[in-house]
Amino acid sequence: MAAQNAPLARKEQLILELLAAGGPMYGLLLVERSSGALKRGTVYVTLGRMEAKGLVESEQEPPVPGSIGLPRRIYRLTPLGERVLRAWTVFARELAWEVKS
Amino acid sequence: MTRTNGRRAPGTILLRIAPRLFSARFVSAVVEPTIADLQSEVAAARERRLMGLRARWRGYCAFWTLTLVAPFASWAEATERDTAVASGNLVGRLAVGATVLLVLTKAMLGASVAVLATAGAMVAILIHAWYERHPSDIPTPIERTWRSPQINFSSTDVGGNAGGLIFVVGSVLIVSIGLPSVLWFLLAGTVGGCFLAWRLVNWHARHPKWGLPENRIVLR
Repeated sequence: MAAQNAPLARKEQLILELLAAGGPMYGLLLVERSSGALKRGTVYVTLGRMEAKGLVESEQEPPVPGSIGLPRRIYRLTPLGERVLRAWTVFARELAWEVKS
Repeated sequence: MTRTNGRRAPGTILLRIAPRLFSARFVSAVVEPTIADLQSEVAAARERRLMGLRARWRGYCAFWTLTLVAPFASWAEATERDTAVASGNLVGRLAVGATVLLVLTKAMLGASVAVLATAGAMVAILIHAWYERHPSDIPTPIERTWRSPQINFSSTDVGGNAGGLIFVVGSVLIVSIGLPSVLWFLLAGTVGGCFLAWRLVNWHARHPKWGLPENRIVLR
């Protein structure tokens, strides 16, 4: 899906950073690693929006024999997500430098 | 998928409810992963009963939080292909969200706060409906645009019509429910205020060129 011309929200940036640092993850793991910045009630809403923007992609984990319930959904960065994160990091660094100087 | 050896996985009923509350896209992208996390967390707790209960509680809270945030997830709006979804419209989901919020308010803050919140919402809907049909022609002063937001009844613009009357009577009723000790003061104030307003209207009708222009009452 095509990316929208929307600014990167703080939670979206955090998710991109966590996925870039830790590789593919499911939502609950993102919540645990965010130190309280992400909530389990809204993390998948944010991930769904990011998927609609083309920043992340997801697939269901393979079913484990004997387990009950739904398979979890694993999220990973798309090439576009990686580029956006890189651009955003450079922009934030430049902005901090400008403000400092 | 959700039942093995006679055991039902947690969240099975929520999965049945979900298609009636949310669009198909929202269910697959948000609700199912949330339930999957709940089920895997409960399964990981195994025999540790306390951890299992905690996982269930957090998972169910996450689901009901979704009912509140779903109306704002515009990316998951139902498409034409999703028309089979029982309640994909915004009004239905807002109604469900409001009901959940009301139940939570009653449970956490008590019945009186829930009654106040309901009364406030009803008055707001009534006033909104009135002004939708009778658009206000009260000009908003320019200086209002830079004022900091605050709740101040004295600076609220109220139309001199039935909509304004609904606002005043509704406000007095809500405050009197919340503060029963000042009920008579409020009622006396309302009656006195209405009488004063009636006298002012009469006076300005008889003296149309008196007083400051901004204080003149234009009768329609």
